[in-house]
Amino acid sequence: MPVLTEEFVPILVKTGASARVDVARTARFRVGDWVRVKNINPTTHTRMPRYVRGKLGCIKRDHGVFITPDAVAHGLGEHPQHLYSVSFSATELWGDVALAQDSLRIDLWDDYMELAEHE
Amino acid sequence: MKHTPTDYHDHEHTEPPSDIELRVKALESILQEKQLIDPAALDALIDIYEHKVGPRNGAQVVAKAWSDPQYKQRLLQDATAAIAELGFGGVQGEDMLVVENTAAVHNVVVCTLCSCYPWPTLGLPPIWYKSAPYRSRIVIEPRSVLAEFGVTLAPSKEVRVWDSNAELRYLVLPERPVDTEGWSEAQLMKLVTRNAMIGTGLALPAGDIR
Repeated sequence: MPVLTEEFVPILVKTGASARVDVARTARFRVGDWVRVKNINPTTHTRMPRYVRGKLGCIKRDHGVFITPDAVAHGLGEHPQHLYSVSFSATELWGDVALAQDSLRIDLWDDYMELAEHE
Repeated sequence: MKHTPTDYHDHEHTEPPSDIELRVKALESILQEKQLIDPAALDALIDIYEHKVGPRNGAQVVAKAWSDPQYKQRLLQDATAAIAELGFGGVQGEDMLVVENTAAVHNVVVCTLCSCYPWPTLGLPPIWYKSAPYRSRIVIEPRSVLAEFGVTLAPSKEVRVWDSNAELRYLVLPERPVDTEGWSEAQLMKLVTRNAMIGTGLALPAGDIR
């Protein structure tokens, strides 16, 4: 039996399948917190790209609670946790080739980061 | 009669399908044989994204935001809800964020993981958006990549790259072109290109459609 049949296509297209979940979880970070992305190197699925590992960023927005793809992809449950928009300066990521005023924002889960000090 | 090399190629013939086409056909056949996919469902999906959903939807959102300050405020606060007001939403647009280009900041969107893209407002992503060179270079050297798209920005302007590899999908709200005061939303829509809503372009100048 196919997962998706013709009659469900319009319903799927219209409603989608949000990864946001309505469960209460304590946020480990607040907007304005400085964080360091953990330097871990899983061989399994992750949404933590190598280029941010070990880097210092700043929490700009709390998107709310989302299921964690790292766990879901391997049948380990939804593991809901807060997802944040985190800002990194381009020079923090790429060094002197980048311009100091440029930046990158990426969405990272609670598990990926540790609270950091910032001058 | 003398033959030049090109004479041997003046007959009609069919090129064999490309490797990628053959691979897709093979995958589709196997999935169909195993009854894992319904070919009618695939056709329905393709029809929707080829004929019904595309960047005109996003252009409508942008034109409304340019025309209606209260709508723009709602759009920047809760993009998913504001976009739904115009009837757009669903797959790959479940959780939207609209980022505004200003005199100080230029936003550009990428998915370094794969090809995450806001389908309800922009349709399916262009080939270059999914290509490895775009995905790797735009995060490292955004200004050079933007220049290749014809967008040259003042060094004083911040370039802000959004890597949408998690669960949010992004739409760029371009700066409204000058000399468009009093334009209707339908007129403004014509200035809003797909690339302007990804951030690899700017809205067209007013003179382009008059």
